[in-house]
Amino acid sequence: MIICPKCHTLHKKIRLEEGYTATCNSCGVILYRYEERMLVHSLAFSITGLILFLVANLFPLVSVDMLGIENHVSILSMISALINKDFLIVGIVVSFLIFIFPFMLLLSFIALTSLMLLGIGREISKDLLVLISKILPWSMLEIYLVSILVALVKLMGLMQIHFGLSFWALVLFVMLDIYLSKSIRVGEYWELRRRIYYE
Amino acid sequence: MNKKKNQNLIRCATCEAVNRKGDSKCHRCASAINRDSSVSTARAWAFLLTAFILYIPANIYPILIGKQFGNSYGNTILEGILHLWDSGEYPIALIIFIASVLVPILKFIMLLYLLINIKINREAKINPHKIYHITEVISPWSMVDIFVVAILTGLVHMTAISIVAGTGATAFVLMVLFTMFSALSIDVQMLKRS
Repeated sequence: MIICPKCHTLHKKIRLEEGYTATCNSCGVILYRYEERMLVHSLAFSITGLILFLVANLFPLVSVDMLGIENHVSILSMISALINKDFLIVGIVVSFLIFIFPFMLLLSFIALTSLMLLGIGREISKDLLVLISKILPWSMLEIYLVSILVALVKLMGLMQIHFGLSFWALVLFVMLDIYLSKSIRVGEYWELRRRIYYE
Repeated sequence: MNKKKNQNLIRCATCEAVNRKGDSKCHRCASAINRDSSVSTARAWAFLLTAFILYIPANIYPILIGKQFGNSYGNTILEGILHLWDSGEYPIALIIFIASVLVPILKFIMLLYLLINIKINREAKINPHKIYHITEVISPWSMVDIFVVAILTGLVHMTAISIVAGTGATAFVLMVLFTMFSALSIDVQMLKRS
C-alpha cells in the first residue's frame, strides 16, 4: 500500500508493467513508476553530475569588470569571503546548503545505484537511502542559481559582467539535479531495492 | 479511498512506506515513526517562536551594506525591494518580495494554522497534509535573498565599491533555519482532516 505524499489518500499498490506510471486518483500526483533502466540512468546522471559539480567549483562563476578592475567569484571564494568578514553563521549555513549537502547527495546516489546494480550491500543501501531522504530538503543549488541571476541584475548598471565556465556547469548540474532528486521519488528506490534484494 | 482504514495507517516520513499506527519502527527503513507527539509538537512551537523573534531583527537591521566612494549605506530587506522597484527592475523586485517577504509570512501562517489545529484537537477544514506539503515546497525559496547577499559579498570588493552582508542577514538565515526545523518537527500523524 502507499499513501499519497501530497493529500495523504491511501492507495493499494499494484505491480506496474515496464514504463508505466501510477498517479494519485484524488490529486493527480505521481506515486511511483516502474522502469528497469531507472538505476542505470541515475548512476549515469550522478557521475555526470559529479564532474559538473567539480567544474562548477574549480572555476569562477561570474566575473565583473568596473573601471578596469576585475573581480570574480566562485562558490568557495564566496563562502570564504563571508567567513572572513565575520559572517560565520551565514557562511557555514550557506556552505552546507550549496556545497556540502549537494556533494554528499551526489556521492550517496553514486554509491547507492552502483551497489543496487551489482546487487550487493543490502544493509548499506538501506542506510544510504535513509541518509538521502534526510538530506534532500536541505540541498538548494537550484535556488542558488536563481540568486546568481538576481545578484547580476542588481549589478548590471554598475559594471560589466562575464559568465565563467562554472556558471554553465552549474546550469547543467541543476538540470541534472532536478531529475535526480525531484523527479525520482525516494519510494521508487525503496521499491527497486525490494525487488533487487528480496526477490 | 477508505477513510477508516486510513486512520489506522501512517506514512513513514523518511521512506514513505505505509505502517500500522502503534508500531515504533518503520518496517522498511527502521526509522522511528511513533515519536512522542506531545514533545514533537512542543518542539515545533518552540522553533516557530524562535523564528518569529528572529524575524524582527531580520527586518530591522540591514541585510546588505554597500560602500560607494567612501559613502556607506545599509539596506534592509524592504528597502532593497523598494529600491529595485524604483529603478524599474519589476520582475526582480517581485522575486525578492515573494521569496523574502511573502514566503516567510505564508509559512508562519500555515505552521500556526497546523499547530493550532493540533493544539485544540480540531479537524482542519482544509486538508492539513496539503498545507504541510506546500510549506515543504516553498520554504527553501526564502533563501534567495541570502544567496544574493552572499554572492555580492564575494564578488564586489573593490576599493571604489564594496558590498558586505549585514546583521539582518544572520538573523534571516537563522529564521529560515528555525522555520524549517519547526516544520520538520511537526508530527504528521497529529494532523487530522475532516
